[in-house]
Amino acid sequence: MRHRLSGFNLVSLVLGFGFLYLPIVILVIFSFNASPLVTVWSGFSTRWYTQLFQNQGLLDAAWVTLRVGLISATMATILGTFAAIALTRYTRFRGRVLFTGMVYAPLVMPEVITGLSLLLLFVAVDFDRGFWTVTLAHITFSMCFVAVVVQSKLLSFDRSLEEAAMDLGATPAKTFFAVTLPVIWPAVAAGWLLAFTLSLDDLVVASFTTGPSATTLPMKIYSQVRLGVTPEINAVCTILIAIVTAGVLTATLLNKRRQVRREREGQAAFA
Amino acid sequence: MKAQSLGSVRKSFAPWADPAAKPFIRFEGLTKVFDGTAAIDDLNADIFHREFFALLGASGSGKSTLLRLLAGFEVPTRGRIVLDGEDMTGIPPYRRPVNMMFQSYALFPHMSVAKNIAFGLKQDGMAKSEREDRVADALKLVKLENYGRRKPHQLSGGQQQRVALARSLVKRPKVLLLDEPLGALDKKLREETQFELTDLQYELGMTFIMVTHDQEEAMTMADRIAVMGDGKILQVGTPPEIYEAPRSRFVADFIGTVNIFDGTLVARDGDRLTIETADGHPIEVDGNEERGGALQIGAKTAYAVRPEKLRISASPLDGPNVMSGEVWEIAYIGDMTSFHLKLDSERIVRVSMLNSSRESAVQMTWGERAWVSFEPNAGLVLSA
Repeated sequence: MRHRLSGFNLVSLVLGFGFLYLPIVILVIFSFNASPLVTVWSGFSTRWYTQLFQNQGLLDAAWVTLRVGLISATMATILGTFAAIALTRYTRFRGRVLFTGMVYAPLVMPEVITGLSLLLLFVAVDFDRGFWTVTLAHITFSMCFVAVVVQSKLLSFDRSLEEAAMDLGATPAKTFFAVTLPVIWPAVAAGWLLAFTLSLDDLVVASFTTGPSATTLPMKIYSQVRLGVTPEINAVCTILIAIVTAGVLTATLLNKRRQVRREREGQAAFA
Repeated sequence: MKAQSLGSVRKSFAPWADPAAKPFIRFEGLTKVFDGTAAIDDLNADIFHREFFALLGASGSGKSTLLRLLAGFEVPTRGRIVLDGEDMTGIPPYRRPVNMMFQSYALFPHMSVAKNIAFGLKQDGMAKSEREDRVADALKLVKLENYGRRKPHQLSGGQQQRVALARSLVKRPKVLLLDEPLGALDKKLREETQFELTDLQYELGMTFIMVTHDQEEAMTMADRIAVMGDGKILQVGTPPEIYEAPRSRFVADFIGTVNIFDGTLVARDGDRLTIETADGHPIEVDGNEERGGALQIGAKTAYAVRPEKLRISASPLDGPNVMSGEVWEIAYIGDMTSFHLKLDSERIVRVSMLNSSRESAVQMTWGERAWVSFEPNAGLVLSA
C-alpha cells in the first residue's frame, strides 16, 4: 500500500525538515566559505579547517572535551546501569519510590540549577575546580539518562535467564557479567553514546563547574562567538556535527544489522 | 527387549512402600509466606532416590513455589529441605546439587547451543577438553549432534526444549527439577517426549521432580504424584492410587472426570451401604472401615464414580443401581464416546463408553432415552 504524497504532506515535510536542518546546512556550507566574512559567500575553500588545526586554543578545548566525554560517559554508564538494576530488581526495598524519583529528577532539573548546586558543593568541600569537577558534574547529570535507557531494556529482560545461570553454578557476579550484561548490552551501549553526546555539547553545567585550567569546546566556541562569529567556528561545529552523526549512524546500523541477521537466521532455521 | 526390562524393574520400584527406605529429599514443615499469604503451608513429604515425582496442581496451588524453594530461588519462611542428608537451609542456588529445566527454557540467547550446555561445566572449572566431551555426549543424548554451533533462536521449539534438557542434565545433578517441561510443545511432540523423558530418567538413574498442571502428563510419566492445592499436598500416590482411590472430594474432582452423588446414608448391611442421593435415587454401594465405616445412619455422605465405570444402554438395564434419563450431550472422541445423560431430576450423569466395535458409537443419539447402571464397587464413598 503506497500512498502518493499529498500536497499537504509535502509541505509539512519540507517545513519540518527545513526548520530542523536549514540552520545546520547553512553552517556547514559557510564553513567552506573562502571569505572571512561569515555571511558573504565568495567561493569554496577549506582554509578554515587548515587554520583550525593551527589554533592551539581550540585544539586544547577539543582535547579536554573529548577526555571529559569519554571518562564521564563511561562512569555514568557504569553507575546508571547499576541504578537501573537496583530499580528494576529490588522492587521491595524501603524508599524505592523516593529513590526512583531522585534518579529521574535530574532529567527535568534546569541545567542552571544543576550547575549552580554542583558549584556550591565543590566550593563547600574546597575542591579545586577544573577538569575533574566538570567530569564529575557530567557524570552526575548524564547517569540518569543511562539509567532510563537501561531500565527500559531490563524491564523486558527474562529473569529466568539469570536464575538458570545461578542454577548452573554461576555466582551472582558471574551471572551479571556472563548473562545479564551481554543481553542488555545494546541498551548499555546506547546509554554510553547518549551520555557521551550530552557531555560533548554541554555548555551550562561546564561553565558553572570548571576552573581556569579546563575549558571545554562548547565554552570556547561560546566565548569566541561573543567576539564575533568566525568561519573557524563554523568549521569546528561542522566537525562536531560529523562526529555526532557518525556515532548515531554507527549505533543505528549496528542495531539494524543485528536485527536483520537475526531475522535471516531465524528464517533459515525453518526453511 | 529394553522396554521389557524397564517394565519389570519399574514394577518392583516402590521405595515409598518400604518403611526402612531412606528418603532422598525430605520437606519438613516447609512454609513460604508471600505478602501474608502462605504459598506453601506446613508441607511435609519424602521423595526417594531415582524416583520420578510429579507435583500436580492448578495454578496458584504452590507447586512452582515448592520447586523454586528446592532450587534455592526462594527462601523458606519456616521449615527446611533436606537433600541426601544435607540441610539445604542457607545454601544459595549456585551451590545446590540440583539443576532445573525452566518452563521458558531460559536458553542464553547470545551463546551457541554448545556454549549453553557447557555453561554449567565451566562454572565448575572443568578443563576444556573434558567439557567438550561432555557437551558432545549431552548433545547426542538429546539427538542434536549437529546443532552445537547454532544459536537458540535458530532452533524450533522442540529443539530448544532438548537443549534446555541437555543443559540441565550435563552436570549430572542429584535431582533434576522440571518446570512444565513439555508445556510449550504441541500435542504429538509432547506425547513422544513424555516417553523419551521417562526412559532417559531411568537410564540415567536420576531423581526427577516435575511440576505440571497436566494430569495426563503426570500420570504417564511419574512414579508418584503429589496433588497440590492451597500450598498443601492433598494426596501422594502412584497414578492408579490417585485415580482409583482419591482420598478427598477435591482430589477425585481434580483428577479426571467424576460423578459425585451427594446423599444420606439410609441403611447398612455389613459393608453394603444404601445411600439416598439428594435427588432421590437410592444407591447401593460398597464401603469399608476406612470409607464410610464410621458413618451413622442419617449422616451426609457422597459417592464418587468415574464415567468409564458406568454402563450405558438404549434399553432398560437390570442391576442394583439403574438410572434413566435423556441423552443430553454426546462427544465422539474416536476411541471412546462421552455422554451426558440428563436424569428426570435434572441431574447430569457423565458416562464414557469405549468404542470397541465400529458400530457401538452410533446407537444412541440426542434426546433419546437411555439407561445407566453401575456396580456397588464401581466407585468410592468419600469421607467429605
